[in-house]
Amino acid sequence: MLVTWRYRDRKSLIQSFDPSAWIVFYTCFIVATVFFWDFRYLSLLLIIALVFVFTSKVTWGESKRAWLFIGGFVVFFAVLTFLTGRGGMEVYEEEHVITTLRAPFTIFGWNPALDITLERAMFGLSQMVRVFSMASMTILIPYTLNPAHYGISFRRLGLPDKIAYAMDLTMRFIPTFGRDFQLTMDAQRARGYEMEKLSGGLFSQVRKLAPLIVPVTIHAIAGSEDIIDAMDLRGFGIGPRTWLVELKYKRRDYALMVFGVLILLGSIIASLFGYGKFWVPPALLNALGG
Amino acid sequence: MAQDPLLVVDNVSFRYREREELAIKDISLQLEAGEVLLIAGASGCGKTTLARVINGLIPRSYKGELTGRILIHGQDTSDMSLARISQNVGTVLQDPERQILGTKVINEVAFGLENAGLSRVEILERAEGSMNYLRIADLRDRDTFNLSGGEKQKVALAGVLAMEPSLLLLDEPLASLDPASALDALRLMRELADEGIAILIVEHRVEDVLKISPDRMLFMMDGEVVYEGSTEGVAQSVDYHEVKLPARIVIGRAAEDPPPAKIEFLPGVAPGDEPLVRFDHVSFFYEEGRDVLQDINLMINAGDIIAILGPNGAGKTTLVKHAIGLLKPKSGNVFVEGKDTRDLSVAEVASTLGYVFQSPSHMLFAPSVRDELTFGPSNLGHSSEEIEKEVQRSIDIMNLSGMEEYPPLALSFGQQKRVSIAAILAMGSKILVMDEPTAGQDYKNYMDFMDSILQLPSFESILFITHDVDLAVVYANRVILLNEGRLVGDGKPQEVLSDYKHLEKWRLVPTSLLDVNLEMFVRTQRFMRAEALAHIPS
Repeated sequence: MLVTWRYRDRKSLIQSFDPSAWIVFYTCFIVATVFFWDFRYLSLLLIIALVFVFTSKVTWGESKRAWLFIGGFVVFFAVLTFLTGRGGMEVYEEEHVITTLRAPFTIFGWNPALDITLERAMFGLSQMVRVFSMASMTILIPYTLNPAHYGISFRRLGLPDKIAYAMDLTMRFIPTFGRDFQLTMDAQRARGYEMEKLSGGLFSQVRKLAPLIVPVTIHAIAGSEDIIDAMDLRGFGIGPRTWLVELKYKRRDYALMVFGVLILLGSIIASLFGYGKFWVPPALLNALGG
Repeated sequence: MAQDPLLVVDNVSFRYREREELAIKDISLQLEAGEVLLIAGASGCGKTTLARVINGLIPRSYKGELTGRILIHGQDTSDMSLARISQNVGTVLQDPERQILGTKVINEVAFGLENAGLSRVEILERAEGSMNYLRIADLRDRDTFNLSGGEKQKVALAGVLAMEPSLLLLDEPLASLDPASALDALRLMRELADEGIAILIVEHRVEDVLKISPDRMLFMMDGEVVYEGSTEGVAQSVDYHEVKLPARIVIGRAAEDPPPAKIEFLPGVAPGDEPLVRFDHVSFFYEEGRDVLQDINLMINAGDIIAILGPNGAGKTTLVKHAIGLLKPKSGNVFVEGKDTRDLSVAEVASTLGYVFQSPSHMLFAPSVRDELTFGPSNLGHSSEEIEKEVQRSIDIMNLSGMEEYPPLALSFGQQKRVSIAAILAMGSKILVMDEPTAGQDYKNYMDFMDSILQLPSFESILFITHDVDLAVVYANRVILLNEGRLVGDGKPQEVLSDYKHLEKWRLVPTSLLDVNLEMFVRTQRFMRAEALAHIPS
């Protein structure tokens, strides 16, 4: 059986919109974000995302694990980008060194050094803002979208019955998977299994995860077979289906969708005209004598 | 013109594609409106296969070779779609958990009607009608995953009834219910039959189903029908070791057989001076303000065979998870052999206390049974010679020899359960804890393995969580009753289980075996199984 996310009706801004309208807006927002590397544009998008986050009434207590997990990822990769300059090479051509850190030792005659450049710093920062605004919008979904509306929301966006219901089941499969994982983890710990003690190379570490991965996978497969049987036995997919839940767009839903589409079109047009590329504050460039 | 019978199964045989032998052989039966038919038999006898043939999952979802005919209202179902069949045959699967698709109760009940493409008004009318009939209208807007086992089953049933089937097919409907919910469900089925719906119940808890006096009964063995007829006749023709029959019938029949072998439980116990496990004012909650356990004080001593009883959601599993340190109390302490579980890792506790989880599929992963059994003891750092001995011993005890190299995941459910118990036995712990050891097992199977585990010399104490009052009557020397996180009973079975008013309050239903045992207690001085009672001189 599928369990659900921690959805509650919170009477918040985001929940005042129709779920289909929200999915349209969300999709436009995410695609628009992908067009930009300009810190200024990205900040604007982040502000929009944060408005929804801070008005969502999702408490820190209930969502902190998700924020810390995703926040940790975002910061880690931004720092990695900053240190290595990885990924930035395509967006900027020259670098302006602010300072160079030199290690006070040498390894086999090599003296590790790190160039801190203006471009790397700005790129790391832009990347962080970009990913974080996408992540914020995504984290909100499980807390604010009523699971009973998943299927009909996709159906109204024009997806066929079968695919809309499949999307519905998939979204609810994720937390179910989490529950099975926890049960398996407990069962194996009761057999003296300790994940903290994983050691060895990558391959042997993965092998040592088998006691968790195998039961969880088998459960997922068996669970989906049960679901198919249960659907078949109640005549799913024989013809056009009525969806009991009836949702109606209100004026504000149209407004939200128009807003989303405008953001998307604006981004496409801006990028066609060459706006929104990687940006370094000129004042800082001048200060470095570039 | 005579009306066609509701259901005719005519000479049906079936072989699953991947198997060589037939799962069912030449089965024929008929069912009329308003009749209740009970199909019983041990696991693997083909009763679930027969159910799948009738509801059309065979051959549509499960492929194989099917011969014979199924007629519903006189029409052959072989060229009907599953949806068409499901309009006449409503199926409630063994585990309602696995059947429920909707997030809210109303969505779940409406699912089949939505698929039929009815209008919203009609869907609501029929779904609500069905919920009213089952007296669950108050659940309408609840989340399905928060329901109790009994509620889940009624919701699944409501979803099926809303489609107005003429035949209801129930596959082991009692398996996941506490005794009071099971009785409730049975009464409901009787009511439905009286309204004119034909009911086919597949169940091995024969004694329970007999309470609603089915019109007929079918007993299956190895894919064949070995008895068909009235329920009165079954007592004489069915082996009472195979199927659980009312205690008085068993006593009557066992009197003619030689007395059962005497079994000595926990033969290796040496009484210790210290309790093995001690709960000291233990409380626990997941969410502040909603206690799952409240101020539990409890000692587990060498020699205890404890049955933990209580309704769904009473906190039974949470209690035993504290004993192994998977959960730590929010207040109070749990000591295992004198040490606080807060200072011990789960792995350290595991060498004292072995815990068999309810579902074997949450733990089996290894490529062979032998590897599966090696996993626990090698995690505990046992030497390879020790491990070899321990593994061999548990293979012998759980009757798994010959299967050492089989992949556990390819075994049947009953065998998997045995492997999961063997995997814990191999760890050589002093205390064995089993969560619902009999779930999904048929009577003969679980009585056999409970007998053999309790005779093992290695354990000092055994605990099991169960819904089955008779399991406590036959095996336990101490019963713990839990309700809403509180200890509401703890003592000898004859003390805790003798107050029927008390039991009813905790959703337990006295069984015929308990009745007889209490009646004969003056002479026996302890609870025993029906076969043994048959040989007590009066």
